[in-house]
Amino acid sequence: MKPELLLSVDTKQRFWLDPRTKLYMLLIFSIVMIDGKTDGISFWLKPVLSLLPFLLLLSGRRRKAAAIYLSVFCVSWITNLFLLDYLGTAAKIIVSLLTQLGMRWFPGAMMGYYLLSTTKISEFVLAMQRMHIPEAFIIPFSVMFRFFPAISEEAESIGNAMRMRGITGKKFFKNPQAVLEYRIVPFMMSVVTIGNDLSAAALTRGLGNGKKRTSICKIGFHWKDFALMLVVTAALLVFLIFSGGLK
Amino acid sequence: MDKKKLNAKDFINIGIFTVIYFVMFFITGMMGYIPIFAVIIPLGLGILGGIPFMLFLTKTGKFGAATIMGTLVSVLCFLMGQSWISIPFGIVFGFLADLIFNAGKYKNWKYTVLGYCVFTEWVIGSMLPMWIMRDTFFAAYRNNGGTDEYIDAVMNLTANWMLPVVIVLGVVGAVIGAYLGRATLKKHFVKAGIV
Repeated sequence: MKPELLLSVDTKQRFWLDPRTKLYMLLIFSIVMIDGKTDGISFWLKPVLSLLPFLLLLSGRRRKAAAIYLSVFCVSWITNLFLLDYLGTAAKIIVSLLTQLGMRWFPGAMMGYYLLSTTKISEFVLAMQRMHIPEAFIIPFSVMFRFFPAISEEAESIGNAMRMRGITGKKFFKNPQAVLEYRIVPFMMSVVTIGNDLSAAALTRGLGNGKKRTSICKIGFHWKDFALMLVVTAALLVFLIFSGGLK
Repeated sequence: MDKKKLNAKDFINIGIFTVIYFVMFFITGMMGYIPIFAVIIPLGLGILGGIPFMLFLTKTGKFGAATIMGTLVSVLCFLMGQSWISIPFGIVFGFLADLIFNAGKYKNWKYTVLGYCVFTEWVIGSMLPMWIMRDTFFAAYRNNGGTDEYIDAVMNLTANWMLPVVIVLGVVGAVIGAYLGRATLKKHFVKAGIV
């Protein structure tokens, strides 16, 4: 048997990063990018920094997501900076809200997507163990990790089933109680079932017995990790020093 | 094993229900990007979060569960781009809610409603920048081409007296959500033998 079948690390993934590096980048992004300034140093800093998720998504072979991200960001940025002055008041408010979403929130969200979609759960658990995070947080976090993709699948299936019965979002105002109830209740039911399954799975993997766990994954920092950390830290420092800081 | 302590199963339930609660928050939070609706976020969150939270309490009736959930939700919020202020709020309000739930031994309905009201108030943390960082918050709007009339309208709407209103709205939403949650639990989950 080939070793990569046993290892949960995807050896085909050409640009492998430590989960901790990804978390760190996400952290910096949610500090720097969320700030709304576009003047001064931010005018240069932010577009450059926002290229990072694009490149990372490309390297993780998420080409479609990368393309969507880049176009949304570019459109938002250009519209927000150069085109807003030509719009009327009402249009300006709506467009400015949308572009704010695209240029402030989207880069961080894409970073989060990159973290979720390119990290194996066991890698993530191991990384959190190395950071000495207590088990009370590691287990819920790893469950959340697994559960975010499952949740949309479940919701979609329930939505389909309800459409067959004619309970759709359009009828919300006719009978809001039924729409809420018929969607949330089956959802909760399947969630509880998934919860039971997951706890059985976790127990067989020895989560929660209080002993130190071993892992087959190899995680560690390489020069790529250090380089990326250096880049985002530099961005944070530039942001703090030249842009007036957090406030 | 100690029945009072959280075990692996509880941690898993915390994870799952945190995700659901966060999705509910996300749905209401999306409305918050339209500043006029921002003030009703606590109301919507209280109502929508009621059903999952009541189910969550019946699944993990132990001390510490709400604290962990509050922390995780606020950390998620931070990672999704909210201000870091929501993290201490999540921890503190989660812990307070836990104390209240514990006083009622996780069974007493009055304590449960009260605790859920307190828990819902964590969301104030994610809205606080509107008030305490007022100048930066609105300067950012102005920089981004918001017109003066618009900014004035938003500023008036989020004047300081709105803060208590938001808190009250959170309590109202939580009470509605708690009763809704209890009704749903009784109607469906108890019957199906899930609780």
